[in-house]
Amino acid sequence: MKSYQVGRPSERPWAGVKKTFFTIAAMLLTSLTFTVMAQDVTVSGTVKGADGSGLPGVTVQAKGTTKGTQTGLDGTYKLAGVAKNGTLVFSFVGMETKEVAIGNKSVVDVTLVDDTKALEEVVVVGYGTVKKKDATGAVNAIGAKDFQKGIVTSPEQLMQGRVAGVQITQSSGEPGGGINVRIRGTSSVFGGNNPLFVIDGVPLSGDNISGGGDASGVGRQPAKNPLNFMNPDDIASIDILKDASATAIYGSRGANGVVLITTKKGKGKGSLEYGYSHGFSSITKKYDLLSAAEYIAAGGQNKGGSTDWQDELFRTGQTSQHNLAFGGGDASGSYRFSLGYLNQDGIILKSGIKRYSVGFSGTKKFINDKLTLGSNLNFANTQDTGVPISENSGFEGDLLGGILKSNPTQPIYTTDAKGNQIYNQPGNTEPNPLAFANLSRDNTNTLRALGNINAELQIIEGLKFKTVLGFDKSLSSRKSAYSSDLVVTGIGGIGRAYVNDIEVDNQLWENYFTYDKEIGKTSLNALLGYSYQSFDRYSKSIAAANFRTNDLDLMINNIAAANAGKFGSNVINNSSSEKDELQSYFGRVNLNLSSKYLVTGTLRIDGSSKFGGNNKYGVFPSGAFKWKLMEESFIPKNVFSDLALRLGYGVTGNQSIPHNLYDRRDRYSGWGINQGADNIEGGGLNAVAFNNPNLKWETTAALNVGLDFAILNNRLSGNIEFYQKNTKDLLFLVVSAQPAPTPFSWKNLDTDIQNRGVEVGLNFSAIDGKDFGWEVLANTAFNKNIVKNLSGVYDTGEINGQGLTGAFAQRIAQGQPLFAYFLREFGGYDEAGNSIYPAGDFQQFLNGKSPLPTVTAGLTNNLRYKNFDLSLFFNGVFGNYIYSNTANAFFTKGSFANGRNVTKDVVGSKEGPLNAPDVSTRFLQKGDFVRLQNLNLGYRVPVKSKVFSNLKLYVTGQNLLTFTKYTGQDPEVSTNKSINGIPSFGIDYTAYPRAKTWTIGANISF
Amino acid sequence: MKKNNIYKILLASTGLAFMSACTDLVNDEKDSIVRTSAGGTFTPGDPVALLESAYKDLGAYTDQANIYALGVHTTAEMIPPTRGVDWGDNGVWRTLDAHTWDATHSGITNAWNQLNQRVFKATEIIASNPSASQKAQAQFLRAFNMFHVMDFWGQVPFREVTQGVDELPKTLSRSEAFDFIVKDLEEALPNLGKVAPSATNGVANKAAANFLLAKLYLNKGVYKAAAAEGPYTFDKADMDKVIAYVDAITADGYSLDKSYFNAFTTASKNETILVSLEGSAQNRWFMTLHYNQNPSGWNGFTTLADFYDKFEKDDPRIGVPAKGDGKEFSGIGRGFLIGKQIMDNGKDLIDTRTQKVLSFTRDVPLAGAATDKGIRVIKYHPSDASKYILMRYAEAALMKAEAQFRGGNTAGALTTVNSLRTTRGAKALASLTADTMFDEIGRELYWEGGKRTVEVRYGKFTTGTGVEIKDAYTVLYPIPSSAIVSNPNLKQNKGY
Repeated sequence: MKSYQVGRPSERPWAGVKKTFFTIAAMLLTSLTFTVMAQDVTVSGTVKGADGSGLPGVTVQAKGTTKGTQTGLDGTYKLAGVAKNGTLVFSFVGMETKEVAIGNKSVVDVTLVDDTKALEEVVVVGYGTVKKKDATGAVNAIGAKDFQKGIVTSPEQLMQGRVAGVQITQSSGEPGGGINVRIRGTSSVFGGNNPLFVIDGVPLSGDNISGGGDASGVGRQPAKNPLNFMNPDDIASIDILKDASATAIYGSRGANGVVLITTKKGKGKGSLEYGYSHGFSSITKKYDLLSAAEYIAAGGQNKGGSTDWQDELFRTGQTSQHNLAFGGGDASGSYRFSLGYLNQDGIILKSGIKRYSVGFSGTKKFINDKLTLGSNLNFANTQDTGVPISENSGFEGDLLGGILKSNPTQPIYTTDAKGNQIYNQPGNTEPNPLAFANLSRDNTNTLRALGNINAELQIIEGLKFKTVLGFDKSLSSRKSAYSSDLVVTGIGGIGRAYVNDIEVDNQLWENYFTYDKEIGKTSLNALLGYSYQSFDRYSKSIAAANFRTNDLDLMINNIAAANAGKFGSNVINNSSSEKDELQSYFGRVNLNLSSKYLVTGTLRIDGSSKFGGNNKYGVFPSGAFKWKLMEESFIPKNVFSDLALRLGYGVTGNQSIPHNLYDRRDRYSGWGINQGADNIEGGGLNAVAFNNPNLKWETTAALNVGLDFAILNNRLSGNIEFYQKNTKDLLFLVVSAQPAPTPFSWKNLDTDIQNRGVEVGLNFSAIDGKDFGWEVLANTAFNKNIVKNLSGVYDTGEINGQGLTGAFAQRIAQGQPLFAYFLREFGGYDEAGNSIYPAGDFQQFLNGKSPLPTVTAGLTNNLRYKNFDLSLFFNGVFGNYIYSNTANAFFTKGSFANGRNVTKDVVGSKEGPLNAPDVSTRFLQKGDFVRLQNLNLGYRVPVKSKVFSNLKLYVTGQNLLTFTKYTGQDPEVSTNKSINGIPSFGIDYTAYPRAKTWTIGANISF
Repeated sequence: MKKNNIYKILLASTGLAFMSACTDLVNDEKDSIVRTSAGGTFTPGDPVALLESAYKDLGAYTDQANIYALGVHTTAEMIPPTRGVDWGDNGVWRTLDAHTWDATHSGITNAWNQLNQRVFKATEIIASNPSASQKAQAQFLRAFNMFHVMDFWGQVPFREVTQGVDELPKTLSRSEAFDFIVKDLEEALPNLGKVAPSATNGVANKAAANFLLAKLYLNKGVYKAAAAEGPYTFDKADMDKVIAYVDAITADGYSLDKSYFNAFTTASKNETILVSLEGSAQNRWFMTLHYNQNPSGWNGFTTLADFYDKFEKDDPRIGVPAKGDGKEFSGIGRGFLIGKQIMDNGKDLIDTRTQKVLSFTRDVPLAGAATDKGIRVIKYHPSDASKYILMRYAEAALMKAEAQFRGGNTAGALTTVNSLRTTRGAKALASLTADTMFDEIGRELYWEGGKRTVEVRYGKFTTGTGVEIKDAYTVLYPIPSSAIVSNPNLKQNKGY
């Protein structure tokens, strides 16, 4: 299919270009000569925009020739030597191309209108674009108008709920925290389930780029979302490739879907845009804990104070955003610069994220538009301030655990022997949450730059060659310190600091040919290319203990404050350097027969250094067929405005596993300081991996059947998709057959993970009047997941808390969905208040109850009235279950009996104080929810100013209402509770609480 | 025009050239030592680094879970009470105490993986062109780890270094494993160093090999029995070997410490044969001390009153009260901690949860225990603990006494036992029976990790206090279910 292309060749001197990136190519090209045909008339005129002002930079070309020019600043042009009987073509980026026959006229004035329709209808498919109506695969495109509004820290959030079959779960409410994206269910266990992200043609590695944490007394903390570097304001569109026929062009990385992000390009005569917003976030729902009075009334120990720990630690977080962009463009090139600033305070004291971002994109055409040079660059500095909330804190609890369980009668402060006010910290087992927050510091500073420079050359008519050099570099340092004044296991009286640095250096070089040809009613579009991508990664981590100061800044920035003279005080944990490579050959052919039958065939051969000598290369084919029923005479045109049937099948892969797991390698293990900071342990030479030359790709074969339709004169349009995905050769970390060098080894498991589903997307233009409009967008998806033919069972979903060491809640086994819950069936309490389990005091599957939703849905209502517009967006998730590790660990009679606060429902329950709260369905709840995710009210101020061309004011509310039966803080949650690297899903453990946010803002164009 | 075409062809071919392969996808590892073994051949590692690492791996024995738990929790010396919500841990501790474990028990699985992995590392060292001394040390370490596998599970998987990831290890029967271990030790013995007793003896030595050989022959009746649950017969010839091995240790200069608790301190000079230089003994106090004590413990394991009552009140091994003289950790006594507890400054210790003076009770239930239930045990004191001891001369002396006893020399055995008792400051025994011999082993070696083996040998393992499943098959642990999935050559032990 032809890509959306407005610019046509025009004569353009290539002088005036400052510097080019591909000098050699350019030099070759300058020697090319081109035909100039003799002509006879001169035509002039003015090109205007819809507002009546002159449009500069419009390409004016005599059709079928290379003769052309561009309009000047006032929109006028003059073109000499064109044929009398010729036709002029006026084209401009973002506007509808217009053709006007010259006839006998010597003055041709035209008015160009915005070509929004054409923009909407194009989808990016990887190494090119296609018109949406010609797309053969399951592809969704969303543009700026569909994006989530308000405070959006990373690109995934823009598309939450907007696309059928794409489920986006923020693992918690933490600013900048991790996000799970699942396209068409969950098909892998170890191979990662996030889709491949491609930004302006550069595929990202998907690895974390900042360090996690694992401080003594705190627990394991996840890395921040690696996509935080991307300012959502710089994004023009997101295209989601869902089925294998579309993703196969990304071969070994396509199994989980592909998300293609295209950044904004400059257009028009040059404009300056500024956007500002200010948001206020507060917790949506506090935990229903006992107040001091209620705690005493329930028989709790009175320590004399009255503290609402939630009030002490939660706050209204303010967020301000500034975005400044300027750019312009015409048919011969474009440029855009942007600056972004985000300062978001979390709703927990001290937490937050700051981002400074810079974006640039530019293109320029040379040599009669035969050579196009382009570059995109996104650069950001992200500064995260974390708080000690972890994924696996023990019974002592992390910061959030402390907020939930601290005795409400415990005063925050006490006085020391000298009469100074100090934090009241009763002991290691009951950390004072305010002290935890204020006597610790956790800063992550990340610089990431992603960009590419590319050159496209038209060799002959229809044949183009494009080369792309891409890079993705990041430097990240996470530094944390815990004061010796903080009474927490392993910290009190010791003081600890950690430094964790990660450096990533990924490079891309791609070269490909595209060929477009039309022969009669048949058109052909072919792609053939080669790609090389390398992924270098370095890390270094340091730990120190026994600090001689309690000044957190000094601890981080003058780490020698750790008393290195005392054994066990400091250690370089370890460093690492890894490089992976991916070398690929790919091709695609699109055939359009009579505009009625469209056929796509794709093949990618990927070679990856992640796999063993016997299986370095994998072959990933796909094919798709589209029958445009609308073109058939038997389809009643009075009923349908569009009707097409699609069929696609393809094989894609997954290679998201750690570096080199097939060579028998030894590495000195990391050193660590023990709990008492009086010994250093570790450092032995140990095997990293077992020799396994047969290790290979995980492959997913997927079938897709889709129907696109439009009725009621295009007012109602939509699509229905049916799919089935089968994943085999599952990459799995299995228990080694001992004796063995490593406890686990990587193998391809002979199993079959199946996802089957239906997706429906509907767009309905209910009213489309001049002053009033109402548009409804709805999508829903059903997915069923099941594991087949798996030998052995694999436990995951670690449950933490007092008396829960070794407990788990999920098991992967055949006949069950992935991550199926495996629990005791709770049946209430006996007379002594101990749990009874009518089905037996052992864990079992629960009829396929799992954390994976079976239905996801989104509903958007867009209303406009004159200069006002209102958008309401709801999303919903159904059929999933959430296990509350938080309740399991903290909201029990036993916990209350041990002097801790609990939720109000615990007091009235029949549970006895000595009951052991074993893992059971007592803590399992339905995770269904419907949420008013986004409400946006905008007003376009009618300006007649010469300074402003556009002024828009808006108010946005995010996460305003949630309808759910889940009693935890929020049903959109997934704390990483992996066991032996097997990930979990849908478990809630002291997750950073979620906020609702109101934002007011203004966008101004100059 | 011609010129144009030439350029076009040139360009197209340049483009094609860009598309030729530019990498062979072979890793150039910079942060690890590649030891690829293609086609079943083994690439030797660096024996120095591997051996150092194998010694570090001994740190696993210092943990309170897994290997240690299998060796002690299952006996009548220790109980892991569930205290309300605390230490429930999905039942892993209670099932050890009640002998109701199954093949998915995490402690059993972890111990299996840890021990066998350690065996493999030793096998790799032996195949990595070691010096005679290095080889002997590796053989000792292999024997030490494999001994535990044989003892716990009654069958031992064995992987050759040339076997790849998809090849299944063969399985040695208990009897074959016994012979294998003895052979390793006999071969190692001449090339191991002779070292004097020292609190920091962290390297395999002659005394350690003799110690393990003595233990093997003392239990040979168990390991070579037709059925794991017995009956066991102990040949005099084997008992004589035990005596000879212990005498060899004595000849190397090892003897008993006059002060029992001194043997567990950095000042120990007479008894220590082998310690783990990796890790420390800290888990032995954390696992038993109360939260409010200094150091703050995990308020876990206790002993049982029945066991405590096996001691005469004037046996110094029963303990030394806390001094409470203001020095750090002086609030903690040695031996059995029972009754009222004090702080370092000598004042009564208040339990912050109950707001009462902390006083450890004699009684302790397995479930629903309050925080003060149960007698605590401190052999390594936080103020002066030595490295974690794997082999101690007193155990050798008791092995000799038992060998004398089983070999028919009851008088000699009584002399040996009384020599130990009087050195410790306890009264001499008037006579010796199998039961008094068994009790004496308990009084000397309590909580040191090997009690299960002793109970099995004396036929007392399946009948102890708190045991719910009293069936004989529990003398062996089940092969972990994950191990059977990984290696179908393994047959599950009888009864599971």
